[in-house]
Amino acid sequence: MSTATTGIRRKLAKSPSYQAIAQALWQSNPISKQILGICSALAVTVQLNTAIVMSVALTFVTAFSSLIISSLRNLIPRNIRIIVEVAIIATLVILADEFLKAFLYDISKQLSVFVGLIITNCIVMGRAETFAMANTPYRSFMDGIANGMGYGSVLCGVAFFRELLGSGKLLGFQVVPGAFYQAGYEDMGLMVLAPGAFIMIGLFVWLQHAVLKSKGIS
Amino acid sequence: MSKPLRSIIFAMVLCLVCSVLLTAASSGLKERQMRNMAVDRQKNILMAAGLITGPKQLTTHDIESVYKENIKNLWVSADGSIVSAAERGETDLPVYVNYREGRIIAYVIPIDTRGLWGKIHGYLAIEKDGTTIRGFSVYKHSETPGLGGEIESRWFRKNFEGKKITDHEGAFVSISVAKGAVEDAVPVPRQNNYVDGISGATLTGKYLTSGLKDILRDYEPVAVRFRKNMNIKEDTE
Repeated sequence: MSTATTGIRRKLAKSPSYQAIAQALWQSNPISKQILGICSALAVTVQLNTAIVMSVALTFVTAFSSLIISSLRNLIPRNIRIIVEVAIIATLVILADEFLKAFLYDISKQLSVFVGLIITNCIVMGRAETFAMANTPYRSFMDGIANGMGYGSVLCGVAFFRELLGSGKLLGFQVVPGAFYQAGYEDMGLMVLAPGAFIMIGLFVWLQHAVLKSKGIS
Repeated sequence: MSKPLRSIIFAMVLCLVCSVLLTAASSGLKERQMRNMAVDRQKNILMAAGLITGPKQLTTHDIESVYKENIKNLWVSADGSIVSAAERGETDLPVYVNYREGRIIAYVIPIDTRGLWGKIHGYLAIEKDGTTIRGFSVYKHSETPGLGGEIESRWFRKNFEGKKITDHEGAFVSISVAKGAVEDAVPVPRQNNYVDGISGATLTGKYLTSGLKDILRDYEPVAVRFRKNMNIKEDTE
């Protein structure tokens, strides 16, 4: 029984989709390994719920832009491919923004320009140019989802600690009990400001590199 | 087909498809978005009037019903008298009147003023005495987060509650944002006309001060009527 599961696991681990996803989530995570998309990671991680919505929006955009660009890859004229990629990405970003404004107005107000700025996020453009232009639509779609999740995992991790330490809340609910405050505990004001995000992301990068090194991968 | 021609045709088709998609999304969702914006403004009017507090999660429906129960949108002409919505001219000003059991208890005026980086939009609620501020809220601004952006924070908004827009003799002076804490920056007799400033956001405070002054001056005829207890007619249709 156990040999069978390990067998399946090994097979799974060898499949290209699995490897691509594992790569994006961990070994070459867009934020903590490639240091891409930092600007939005600093801005939207004050609270967990904005970080989650931002991650979903970015995953949507990367996945579908990769899918569309990959299906058109043999049709797109080489000389205007960057413009075509940007046009497709921009359309998807505006769609995401319009939907947020219609259905999650409060969060879209907090995210303000950062949803629009997904267009300039290097992760999306990078995946379109390096992966989607050279792979099949299915693989590209999975790659987009994986990279969105890789981005999202760091974003939500950073937001988790920033919201917890900075305002004692999670998803807007008070989690640090009132008794703590009476005993002299104070929220860490630094975590709410941008430098707090820098420090938090720095710690994530450090942690990841240390773990990769100890396993001898990096 | 020659290469450049193929590129041009491809680009044109792509643009067409993208614009059709965007137009469809934009016009299809417009109604919902407008409603969200309207409700957001209603929420801020209610917040200024102290009828709902802070960021507590209320559904769209709740906000609309609380608003409908308590607030009536009226228009006033330059001398402070009521104008019906149908007859209003371009110079007439909007006032949101807060009723409780058929009596006016406060009124809310829109604040649209210049900030440091862009416009500041919010509301200021004044008690029926025409002098005491009941509350302040901001629903849209482009100030620096953490500095000027603090104008939408709870402590800054609470700062306005109970302050006056007149001096001891009852003459109009407006409300100003002090440079630093009111206690240190302003002499005692005038402290009622100042709110604590935000450190690192002196310019935001300056623009807000001058904006509030201009707007309150425009609304002074309304305030005078309240002060004289004339009340703007209570049962308007």
